[in-house]
Formats: sequence, structure tokens, C-alpha cells
Amino acid sequence: MAATFFGEVVKAPCRAGTEDEEEEDERKKETPEDREVRRQLARKREVQLLRRQTDTSLEVSLLEKYSCSKFIIAIGGNAVAFLSSFVMNSGVWEEVGCAKLWNEWCRTTDSAHLSPSEAFCVFYHQKCNPSVFLCQCSCYVAEDQQYQWLEKVFGSCPRKNMQITILTCRHVTDYKTSECTGSLPSPFLKALKTQNFRGRVCCSLLEQPNIVHDLPAAVLSYCQVWKIPAVLYLCYTDVMKLDLITVEAFKPILSSRSLKGLVKNIPQSTEILKKLMTANEIQSNIYT
Amino acid sequence: MASRYDRAITVFSPDGHLFQVEYAQEAVKKGSTAVGIRGTNIVVLGVEKKSVAKLQDERTVRKICALDDHVCMAFAVFIIFIGLTADARVVINRARVECQSHKLTVEDPVTVEYITRFIATLKQKYTQSNGRRPFGISALIVGFDDDGIPRLYQTDPSGTYHAWKANAIGRSAKTVREFLEKNYTEEAIANDNEAIKLAIRALLEVVQSGGKNIELAIIRRNQPLKMFSAKEIELQVTEIEREKEDAEKKKSKKTV
Repeated sequence: MAATFFGEVVKAPCRAGTEDEEEEDERKKETPEDREVRRQLARKREVQLLRRQTDTSLEVSLLEKYSCSKFIIAIGGNAVAFLSSFVMNSGVWEEVGCAKLWNEWCRTTDSAHLSPSEAFCVFYHQKCNPSVFLCQCSCYVAEDQQYQWLEKVFGSCPRKNMQITILTCRHVTDYKTSECTGSLPSPFLKALKTQNFRGRVCCSLLEQPNIVHDLPAAVLSYCQVWKIPAVLYLCYTDVMKLDLITVEAFKPILSSRSLKGLVKNIPQSTEILKKLMTANEIQSNIYT
Repeated sequence: MASRYDRAITVFSPDGHLFQVEYAQEAVKKGSTAVGIRGTNIVVLGVEKKSVAKLQDERTVRKICALDDHVCMAFAVFIIFIGLTADARVVINRARVECQSHKLTVEDPVTVEYITRFIATLKQKYTQSNGRRPFGISALIVGFDDDGIPRLYQTDPSGTYHAWKANAIGRSAKTVREFLEKNYTEEAIANDNEAIKLAIRALLEVVQSGGKNIELAIIRRNQPLKMFSAKEIELQVTEIEREKEDAEKKKSKKTV
């Protein structure tokens, strides 16, 4: 038992096991209805990998079906905008599949009819070099869905001869420092890599305690376990919605080996980015 | 760690943070940038204009507001607020009532410092009450007092207030403040025009697409507030760009 600040007494979780054995027996008696509810929930939260044009599922995992030498994953609105403007506009990319999923973060309760903007992770490969893959993930992948996502994308025995680059954003208040967050020069870039990553990182490494969250953390852990070279570029920003300055903070990555051959016209990409920003600007009156 | 100490405003964290107040300061950063400069005989207020929805009446989107107008407009206090619009409206209403109440009681208009202290005290009360959240606004309060000296004060959601020679609030305030620290000199504010140019230059550091997204107001001693028109701002911006080019030409001549 533990007391909170407000004086309420709550049962604290104990890894040694519950004290009350009677309660355990009660819990073991699961009714068929409970099982059915659990099955339905699992089905609802299933991560499906499919081909959007035909709406058919992919029979095997994405990287088992296609060979991959380079995989760039953008997670979050700003990272997706960066890849859209700088990488996708500099070449011809073909959609090879998408991951469809539903969780409580989705605005709709109807898991059957999900809009592409909120519930899809789209995968592309470059037409002239089909071993280069790109993933644009703007939806939130919940903790219980991350392993499914990894299995569906990487498979149960991934190849080690590919390089993974992950781009994402976090709020600057997540950055562990003794300084006041107001004095930090946000947005700024930090990197975290797996042991097998031998390349050069384009910014300083994330200092201890180097904690990352959600899907980027899941991908990085997966790559570390399977000894795949991977690097995560994390942009700490004070503006979590789509923002020009935050997206431009990813620019140092353009000089990295993984993105070097993919970006052709930077000034044109910057123009495309500006247009994307104005198109997405929601006229909000909440903040003046 | 933060998640256990940030739900209630009245709870300090073990290392002395009031997280709700700090989060309120983050809310201010979501607004546009505003800059205030105190000259010798002038106070300049500049703010980044946010794009207004097509069907919205632009006149109702006002950031620079008068708190108190003396009968002959000799003394006037103006405020510019950045952060949550609704919170700003509430604070301004209370401040305006206080200005009139002070005039009725004491028969003198408020000083800039008095009304700043009132607003700051109000903001502080909301950082200590249970069930209320802090105001998510920072304000720049300017005006001339009885003695004819220009004043510039800044308040923030924690309820602190300070007098400043020049300051910026809102998004990218840090960048603008650094620019002001480098460029605010006695020569820079020697005359009114130079102070105006300094404010515009400071805003141009962070405002995208230049002069058309800037709103500027000046208050001179014994004169009413003057809002600059878009044309006047463009003229200033052109002059600033010309000066920049001349300075660069001089530099390149020296190196050659």
C-alpha cells in the first residue's frame, strides 16, 4: 500500500506476487465473455500490412519480401514533412505497402474505416534503386502494437546488411538536463545509435540518461538485439505541431551517408517545405 | 519524474519546480513574437502578425491594447500580450477596471509600475490557488509616467515583473533578445527613428516574409499611440535593407 500526495491510499504494484491468494483464484476464473472481449480487442488492435491499391494483405513481412540496403523511417509530423520535402521530391518513389492500425489515439472509434492521415504508416522504395526504403509514419503506434509492427515490417529474422535511419521529434521538456528548458537552444538535434553502427553521426550523441520513447525506441532496441546498424536522429523542439524551424533542424542529416545520394535540389526542397507549411497552417485563434 | 508533480498547481517538486507554471511559460512560446524597446523619448512596440482566416474580421484581432487613457491622452498605458488569447482578455479587463478604480479613489491615473504590479500580483494568485491554473500569458506594458519618463515592464505567468530597456516575448524570444543585447546601444536609441528601426530589425530576425507580417506602434511623450501603416513599415524595412547593403559594401571594400 502507498499513500499519494493527496492522502489517498492505493495498492502499490508488487513484483514479488500478490499477498492475497484468494484474489488470484478469482482472477483465474475467466468467463467466455471476457475471452471474447479480449479476442475482439486484440483483433481491433491488430497491425495489418497491406497493399493500398488492392487492399490485400502482404503475405510475408515487408523486408522479407523485398531486399533492403537502406531504410529511412520518419516518425511524427515534422520528420515526415522533412522527408517529404527533401527526399521524396528528389526522386521517384513507389508505394510498396502500408501498415494500418487502430488504437485509442485515433480520433475515430470505427476501426474499419480509418483515414490514411491518422492510421497509416506508408512504405516506399526508390524506383531507380529498389533496395532503398522509406517509411512515413504519422500515426501513433501504441506499446502493445510496436512488436507487431516490427514483426510485420522486419520479419522474425531480419537481414543484417542494411542500415536503418530513424527521424523523430520530442518535446524539449523530455530532454534530461539540469538547465532550465527555457534556456535551451531548441530546436536541436541529438543522435542515438546501435553498437553495430559504424558510420559518422551528424550531431552530438544524446547524453545520459539517454532515454527515448515509443516506436523509435522499439525500432532501435530491435536493431540492437539483431545487430543491425541503426541510428536515431531525435529533434528536441518546443513546437510539437508542424513547424518550419523544427523541420529545418533536421538539415544536418542531409550530409549523412544514408541521405547523401537521395537529396538533389536543396533550395527547391526548401521552397516545397514552405508551401507545405502554409498549406497546413490551421488558423488558430487560441494563441495570439 | 515530472508527471507526479505537475498535476496540481499547488505542488512543488522535490527540486523546487512548479511545473504548471513552467508549462504555462511554454504556452506563451506558442504565440507570436513581440518586442518592446524603451528609447529616450519614445517607446516602440512591435509584434509579429499572425495570418488571419479569410472570413475573419481583422479589426477584432488586436494585440496592442490600451489599459488607460487619460483625458488629454498625455498619459496612457498600453499592453501587448502573448499567449492564450482568452486569458489575456480576462487580465486586460481586470486591469482596466483597476485603472479606473485607482483614478476614482486617488484622483490620479495609474503609473505604469502600479498597474504592472497589479497584473503580476493577479497572475501570482493563480499560481497558488487550488483548482485554478496559471494565466498562460506574458505581457509587455509600456507608457509614460507623470514625470515624462518612458517605462517598459514585462510580466510572465509566474507573476514576476521587471523593468526592461528592451525585451521580447513569445516564440523565438530568445533569438530576438540576443539580437537586442548585441544591438541595443545608446547610439541605437539616440533618436526616435533609430529606436523604431531597431525594433523592426529585431523582429525581422525571426519573422518570415519580412515587413508585411509586422505590426508596429510607437508612443511619444504627450502624444497618443501611433500605429504604423503597412506602407510606413515597408519604408522602414527598405531603409534597413539599404543600410545593410551599404554596410556590406563598405566591409567588402575594406577587405579588397
